[in-house]
This record gives sequence, C-alpha cells and structure tokens, in this order.
Amino acid sequence: MKHNIKKLGILVIGLLVVLIFYLSYLNVVRGTALAANPYNRRLQAYENQIYRGAIYDYNGVVLAETSLAGEKNKRVYPRGRSTAHLIGYISEKYGRAGLESVCDRYLLGLEGTDRVRNYFHKLLGREQLGGDVTLTIDAGLQGLALEMLEGRRGAVVLLDPSTGAVRVLVSNPSYDPNKLAEIWPQLTQDKDTPLINRATQGAYPPGSIFKIVTAAAALTVHPATATATFDCPGFLEVDGYRLDDTAAHGRIDIKKAIAVSCNTTFAQLGLNLGAQDFARMVKAFGIDQDPGMGIPVRPGTMASPKEMIPTELASSAIGQGEVLVSPLHMALTAAAIANNGDLMRPYLVQTVEDSHGRVLQQAGCRQWLKVTTPQICGIIKDGMTEAVRSGTATAARVANVQVAGKTGSAQNPHGQTHAWFIGFAPAEEPRLAVAVLVENAGAGGVAAAPIAGRLLAAAVNKGY
Amino acid sequence: MSGVRYAIPRARDKEPAGGRTVERNLLFLAVLYLMMGMITLYLDESVAPTVLAVVAGLIVAVAFLLVHAYWKASSFRGDRYLLPITAIIISTGLVFLFRLDPYYGLRQFIWILLGLGALVFTSRLLLNFRFLSDYKYTYALFGLIALILPIFFGKVQGGAKSWLDFHFFQLQPSEFVKILLVLFLAGYLAENRAILTAGTRNLKGISLPRPLEWVPLVTMWGISLLLLVFQRDLGAALIYFGAFLAMIYAATARVAYVLSGLGLFAAGAYTSYFLFDHVRVRVLIWLNPWPYIDDIGYQITQSLFAIGSGGIFGTGLGQGYPHYIPLVHSDFIFAAICEELGLLGGAGIIILFMILVYRGIKIALRARGDFSALLAIGLTSLLGLQVLIIIAGVTKMLPLTGITLPYVSYGGSSLVANFILLGLLLNISHEANDRL
Repeated sequence: MKHNIKKLGILVIGLLVVLIFYLSYLNVVRGTALAANPYNRRLQAYENQIYRGAIYDYNGVVLAETSLAGEKNKRVYPRGRSTAHLIGYISEKYGRAGLESVCDRYLLGLEGTDRVRNYFHKLLGREQLGGDVTLTIDAGLQGLALEMLEGRRGAVVLLDPSTGAVRVLVSNPSYDPNKLAEIWPQLTQDKDTPLINRATQGAYPPGSIFKIVTAAAALTVHPATATATFDCPGFLEVDGYRLDDTAAHGRIDIKKAIAVSCNTTFAQLGLNLGAQDFARMVKAFGIDQDPGMGIPVRPGTMASPKEMIPTELASSAIGQGEVLVSPLHMALTAAAIANNGDLMRPYLVQTVEDSHGRVLQQAGCRQWLKVTTPQICGIIKDGMTEAVRSGTATAARVANVQVAGKTGSAQNPHGQTHAWFIGFAPAEEPRLAVAVLVENAGAGGVAAAPIAGRLLAAAVNKGY
Repeated sequence: MSGVRYAIPRARDKEPAGGRTVERNLLFLAVLYLMMGMITLYLDESVAPTVLAVVAGLIVAVAFLLVHAYWKASSFRGDRYLLPITAIIISTGLVFLFRLDPYYGLRQFIWILLGLGALVFTSRLLLNFRFLSDYKYTYALFGLIALILPIFFGKVQGGAKSWLDFHFFQLQPSEFVKILLVLFLAGYLAENRAILTAGTRNLKGISLPRPLEWVPLVTMWGISLLLLVFQRDLGAALIYFGAFLAMIYAATARVAYVLSGLGLFAAGAYTSYFLFDHVRVRVLIWLNPWPYIDDIGYQITQSLFAIGSGGIFGTGLGQGYPHYIPLVHSDFIFAAICEELGLLGGAGIIILFMILVYRGIKIALRARGDFSALLAIGLTSLLGLQVLIIIAGVTKMLPLTGITLPYVSYGGSSLVANFILLGLLLNISHEANDRL
C-alpha cells in the first residue's frame, strides 16, 4: 500500500506542477495580449494613471497625443477626420478601435522596460509614461486623399510595393474623433455607415480591375496566351446567355485587351482556365486573407469553385458575379504586379519607442506571398502602361512619370457603377501602388483615375 | 534560547518528538507575513483604510500562537509543518478578503477563530481517531442525509443548490460530508482490502466482479451524480469522485477499478452534457469564452484579464482592479491574488499547497495501520484535488466548477471543514510519531 500511496502522491504533486507551468504560460506568454485586450476594463483605468504615448506619421507629424486638460488627460487627434478610421479612438463609453487599440500595449507602457519602469513610477507615486508609435502613413497625402473623396463615399489606399509600407489609408464618409461623445448617436444611425473603414472592411465587386488577376492566371496556366490573339465581336455567348461588351475590339493581343479592358477576351480566358485554376490565382494574390496589419480587414469572397457554373465563372473573370473585395486587397494586387510578383506584407507601424526613446520594434519589410513570375508581371505591366497612355485610364497620367493602371466600373445593385482604379508608378521602377474606389460614381476612368493621378503626382513630388 | 534563530530546521529528526520549535519559528514568519499585509492595507489610502484589519490580524496571529502553545504544553506530537504552512495560506486569504471587502474580511476573521477552535477540539477529542472506523455506516447514513437536505430545504447560490440557510449564517453540508466520506471509505476499504485486492472470481473462465466490489463503486458514482444533478454542484461531485478513486487505488492498486471508475465518470459527464444546460454552458465557455464575453463568459474572461494584467510581480497589494471579477471573494480569489501578487504570488500559493500535500503523503506513509494510512491519503487527495480543480478552473485549464480554494476563499463551512481535515491529519501523525 505504501507503494501506491507514493505513486498517488507523485501524481497529485505532478498535477500541481503542471498547474504552475500552465499559470506561467498564461501569465508570461499570453499576459500582455490579455492585459491589452480591448475588453479589459483595466485599460481605461490605466488610462487615467498614465500619460499615454503619441502616434506620429512617417515624418513626425502628430496624429494622436494626450494633452492635459484640467484634471483629466484628454486624447487629441490633430488630423481629425482624415485619420479617423486608421487611428481609431479610445473611449470609456464606446470602447477602443483602430491603431489606438492595436498599439495599446505600447502606448500604455505595458511592454518592454516600460513595464518595469512604470511599476516603480507607480510605487513611488510618480507619473507613468507610455511609449510612442511612428506610422508609415503620410499625413499630408492622407489629407489630400480625403479631400478628393469629399462629398462621395469611397476609399483610397497607397502603399510602397517594394516594402509593403502603407502611405495612405482613407475612408469616406469620415467623422471627427475629437467629438466622438457628441456625434456617436448619429454615427451609429447614419445609413452611410461612417464608422466602417471602407478601405479594409468594404466589400465591393471589383469590376474590370479584376482582369489583372484573370490575366495572371491565364498567363500562368497557358503560357501561349502571351503571344495569342483574340477576336472580339463585341459580345460573348455563354450557355445561351449573351454577355455584352462595351465595344467590338476586333483582333487584339493580351496587352491590348488589358489596355482597352475587353470583357469578351477576359470572360473567354476565364472559361478556358476553369474555376479551380482561377480560384487558385485569386488565393495566390492573398485576396482571401487578412494580411495581418492589426486593424480589422474583411477578406475577399467569391463563389466556391465547385459550384461555379460557366456564367458565374465568366462574370467572375471580369470582376462581377459574386466576387467581393476591399480596396486594400486591390491595392495589394497592383503592388504584386508592380513588385514583379513578390507581394510584400503590408504594414502600418514603422517604429515603436518606449518612453525613454529606446526602439522596441522596428518594421522590417518581409515578403508575404510569391504571386507570379516577373515575366508575367512584365506583360501585364505593359498592358497597364498602355491603358494609361492611350486606353481607358488616361485620366491617371502624371507629368514626367509613367503611370501604369487599370480602371473598373463595377455593376452593383445600389445604382450607378462603382468607379475603381488600381495602378502603380513609376511603371519602370514602381515605388507607389494605389487603389481608388468611389461608390456609385460611374466610370472608373472618369471618377477614380483622376484621384489616383493627383495622389500619385503629389506622392512623387514628396519624394516617395 | 537567545540570539538569532533560523526558521529553517537543519536537523528536524533530531528534535525530540514533543518539541515544536520548528513550528514556532515558522509561525513567527507567518505572523510577520500576515502583519505586513495588514499594515500595508492600513497605510494604503486607495483601499478602504481600516484599523480593524490590523487588529483582526493581530488576534489571528495570537490565536495561531496559542494553538501552538497549547500543543506544546500538552506534548502533542502531530506534524510540525502543517500549522505554519496553513497559517501562511490563511493569512493570504484574510489579507485579500480585507482588501476586497472588509465585510467579508471580518466574517472570515471570525470563521478563522472558530476554525482554530475546531482544530484544537479535533486534536483533543479525536486524538484516538481509530474509534471512528467502527461507526462508519452510522455516519455514512448521516452524511447522506446531510447531502440530501439542501435538495429540499436548500438555497441556490452561485448556481449551486447546496446551501442550508440558518438565518445568521449559511451552511454548505457538502464541505463537511466530504470528510465523512473519506472517513467512511477509509474504514470500509481497510476492512475489505484483502478481498478487494484478491480480484474477481472466475465463472467458467469468465471473470465476474462480486457485489462487494462493484457496489461501493456504483454507490459513489450515484452520490456524485446526485450532487451533480440535484445540487448542480459540479465541483463537489468532481472532488468526491476523485478522492474516492484515489483511495481505492491506494487500497487495492488495481488499475481496473480506477479505469472502470473513470469510464463511469466519463459516461456520467457525457450524458449530463446532453441532459443539463448548466453543464453544457460550462463546457462551452471553457472551450471558447470570447464570443460570450458579455454574458456567460464574462466571469472567466475577467479572471483571465486579471491574471494577464498582473504580470510576473503583480500590481502590488491594493493596486489592481480585482473588483472587475464577479464573485472575486470566493471562487475567484486566486485571480485577485495573481493580479496583485503576480505570477510569483500565484505560484507561491500553489507551492504552499504542494508542501501541504507532500506532508500529507509523508503522514500517510508513516501512518500505523491501513485505516490511518487510507484516511491520511484520502484527506490529502481531497485537499490536493480541490486546489487543482478550482485553480485550473479560474485559469481556464479545466472547465470552471464553483468550489472554494481551501483556506483562502471566503466561506465558513469550507474553512471549518478544512480545519477539521487538518486536525485529523495531525492526529494521524501524532499516532505515528508515538513510536519515536
């Protein structure tokens, strides 16, 4: 019996040891994430004890800071409406959103040496300090983008395709986060949903800009597509349905088909591909994924390839049907082509410093996905360059810089077509990739391309 | 005796059987710990400052030392480590209860004094505890009645209908019945150990278990289910059954028993998952509480936030926000300790319980006779399992079952019952130390 008792004792003590290990795991590995969980009511309590860190743009412009207003600390957003969706807010009543929530653990000094330092500050009754966050965003371009969207619903995303650094992420209608308490009831009831970040959470049919994906798929699966010519009589019949084109484009090659945005050619390419290969390329561009920038992103969706009947496949190949994407994903699609098929992981936070200015985290550019080959990108680039030179996207032209682009006018159940433009510049060595969406604004070449052109021009002038 | 004295004994075996110097020295440390906690609370302006806490601390300290003095005077030879370790654990609980809510602190203070009284009585009246094995069926019946009473006259509290309301205080019979259960099992198993160990009889090559073998197993299973179904007391059901399996293993070493016991338990758990909403809810929020953070998952997520926010060193006593956790003074007090004393404090509490379990096993190994050994290992498993189940529950390692953390959570029944448990362990070691 003594033997059994010994074994039993080892079991009970062993289980308690496991408990200590589990507690350590919970505390050390998951601790900071739990501490910074937006549902953790302690965050608000810390808020009142700590001098929360600031958020800066790429050039050091203040985007969010804490100012002393009487007894209580007040959070101020100098750029107001233009950074509302991106920066988010912190509110005792309405919770936490955007990068304010994502970067909570740094801004509240819960990370690195700040955690220890603030512990002692607290013990000694001194003020506790949070760390600062510097973004990749350019506040000036951000403001310009919102200005150009004024009065319309839409979104703009601008990023560096060679690194993944996001320069602009704007959604309109916006709101003034400095007046959250007064405007909250209107915000939640407004049918234009100003609280939604359209740039990342929007779900729109992409229309013709999706032809970039179809072209990449066709060139990958059937390399002969590069040299083939297509005949466009101005319509295509699929299973007895007639798919009308904007014009009879005659005999054209793939580059020309991109430049003039020929529906017939791309619907036919989609049908030749089959649903599986088409869906594989959509995945290769990461359209069905959240790239992990911290802020909420709606992954793109489309009909399941198994259930895709020919008419649905033909429509999906030209960005209609059940395909729904966000402007961010389309900017990344342009970025993938611009960067020769290597899609870099997009990021918003450049550096994180603790309260003493020591760098805690420095963004490094990392490849996210290997989408396609440089050869295929070269062909698509030529087509997109041609589209800006003489095709559908001439309104995106920028003086002295060659822009490559693709327009889209996506049919939708809410009225006029959504105007889209995606592209990059300079075409030879791209440093900027852009996506512009304007809801129900008509043709992409008229409503979206000029916005992209002005934004790219401004960005080039700023040296990006 | 003069000069500096070290609490850590260097040669405990050389100490005469009646000597309790180690106990006294360790108790001094416990008193220092308790008073530091109380004075910290008193000096902290952010916590309701009350001199009452310091006074209560002093009285508890004196009470512990008086128990020690009484034992020393009466040449009590019980284990010398149990009381000081329990004192440290209890001090932590008392300090935290005063910190969380002086109302509970004061009540717990009174319960501690009553508990210490119960401890002294146990060590006095039940010193020759062996007579208990003769009346096992009497108190098995008594225990069963006590368990059934709340089903008819009980009061629902914290989802469990396991309380009897006596106007001035409430009694949770299951806390006391757990000791009766261990006493009964120790008596029963000690008596039938030989037959039980011998194994099954063979009937033309097919081995059939005899009633003697399966009746207790099924009865225990039935009692556990009774608790589970009618009182909705998942935690108690789990502890009862766990202690039962532990004792049967210790007595017979037959893995088949334990396996069929576990099988029965699994079957019961599986069925009740489908039959009872309250069981299903517990499992649901254990697997993933986050979607239910606003209602049924609120408590456990708040507990996790508290533990995560504490870090390794904790926020410091009085500096955290444990009030965000509902029921923090009873089942969830461990989360509050983790928030304010950190991982080190939380692990410290577990290690103290580990030492307690270790001493309990030592006592069982040195016990004279089967009844004593089985009683000791039964009581020790009871304690160990209870600690394991509640801490694993508030950290979401296991589904949450509402039980108290022994000696720490607020609760008179739990405290007094656990003091009696401690007294019985001490008596067993007293008997074993006799031969020295």
